[in-house]
Formats: sequence, C-alpha cells, structure tokens
Amino acid sequence: MIRKIRTWFWIIAWLFVLSGCLRGPVAWQRVTLNRPLSEEDVSFVVNGKTSLSEVVEQLGAPNQMLSSSGGTVARYQFTDGKYFRVDFGWGLRFLSPFYSPDLVLGGGGAGADVFQITYNDHWIVQDHGFAFHSQLSKFRLWPFQD
Amino acid sequence: MNPIFHQNGDASYTKQPISALAMCSILIFLLGNGCAFVRGNYGEDLNQGDISTIKKGVSTRAEVAAILGAPDRIVEANGRDIFHYYHYDVKSGYVIIFSRTNIKSDDIFVIFNTAGVVEDVVAGRKKPPLEFQFWPFD
Repeated sequence: MIRKIRTWFWIIAWLFVLSGCLRGPVAWQRVTLNRPLSEEDVSFVVNGKTSLSEVVEQLGAPNQMLSSSGGTVARYQFTDGKYFRVDFGWGLRFLSPFYSPDLVLGGGGAGADVFQITYNDHWIVQDHGFAFHSQLSKFRLWPFQD
Repeated sequence: MNPIFHQNGDASYTKQPISALAMCSILIFLLGNGCAFVRGNYGEDLNQGDISTIKKGVSTRAEVAAILGAPDRIVEANGRDIFHYYHYDVKSGYVIIFSRTNIKSDDIFVIFNTAGVVEDVVAGRKKPPLEFQFWPFD
C-alpha cells in the first residue's frame, strides 16, 4: 500500500513538473479586433449613390468618423496581432534555482485592415477603399531576420 | 502500477489506474495554472431601446446627453458635431501554451445639425457576442 502511494506521489509530482515545462517557456498568442470585411461585403457601395444609412444597414456603425477637407471620413477597422516566444533558459531553474536567466527568442507583428468611406455634406459616398495590412501579423521565432 | 498476473502467466495492466492517470494529467494540465479565461469590457453597453428614443429632427444635444450620457468623444465634421459612444468587449482564453484574445467594438454616432438638433443616428445592428477561443492559428 505504501509502495503504491509512493508511486502515485512520484507520478503526480512529475506531471506537475511536465505541465510546467510545457506551459512555461513556449507561448503562441493572438489578438484580434473586430470581424474583417471583404471586397464582397462592400460590393454594394457605389460612389455618388449609396447613402450613409444604407452603408450602416449593411456594415454596421463605423469605428471612427473623422473630418477631412473632402468631407466626413468613416473608417471600419480590423486588427490582427500574432506573437510567439520561446524561453530557452526556463529549464535552468531546475538546475540552478538561484540564478535562471531568461533566454528568450520570439517575435510577432500586428496589422490593421481598414475600409474607408468618404461622405459629402448630404451623406452620400464620394469614394471608398481598402487598406490591407493584416498580412503583416505573423508568428516569428527568429527575431534577427530582416 | 502493478501488473495483474493471470493464470496463464500473462501480465496486463488494469484499465482503472490508466484512466485515473489520464484524468489526473488532464486536470493538472487544464486546472493547474496552465489555463485561464478572462473577460473584460470598456465603456457602457448602450441598449437599442435607449437609442430608439432619440428622434431625428426633434431631439436636441441636451436630450441625447440625458438619454445616453456624455459622449466618449465629440467629433466635428462638415460643420456638424458628432457624438461618439463606444463600447469594447474582450474575451481571452489561455490554455497551456496557446492564447487568443478577441475584441469587439460597438460604436454609435449621433450627428447634430448646426442648430444642435439630431440629424442622424448611426448605429448598426448589434454585433453577435464574442466567443471564448484559445486556438490562435485559424
């Protein structure tokens, strides 16, 4: 009976250590803001015809409304960020508990897609367009690459 | 684990300790500090009922402020004032080594004419609720 308890104790102790090993030094992280819009989603927008209320009916309220010399600019934003890291020094804490430096390699990126519409004084679309930057977000292990 | 010897001399392990071990490891992996679900928000969630009480061509700036509260931002565009209200909802999941954070924004714009009366209310359909996710690769 004592032998059995001892065996279980060591199994659980090793599982704790292993779960820490798996969890601690490696991380994949991702952050997203809002749903991306596609060309298809905005195909109904026609310059000089479509009104603000029609756009809002289809796409919802924009995230930003700004003043510009050409009229009022409404912007829909989608952001995607990715980050990856490995701490190669993490396991050192088991060998030297008093000094276990971080040896971290990692990296990531964030990009924002924007769909922008300019309205005139009567809230009719003057022009519209996309800016795609979300492709810039990627998990990156090697931070020294240009 | 101790093997059980059958009469023919073969040794096999019982299923019970194996399933207990599997359960134990799952619990340690998930409920040990390798798992977190976090929820947060920023700004007040404005309900559609409040918005529908704002009447185009009737409600004034003061009435809008009384219904929805002070705006988070005031933008001036095309000679008009625009009250901007926003609400952010955040759900974050972290399981062992994977983490994903989803953020949703709900925005409402109330546009006033030069006389300070509501010209338009820009509020789309409420976006569907966010999901808790932890898988970062899709």
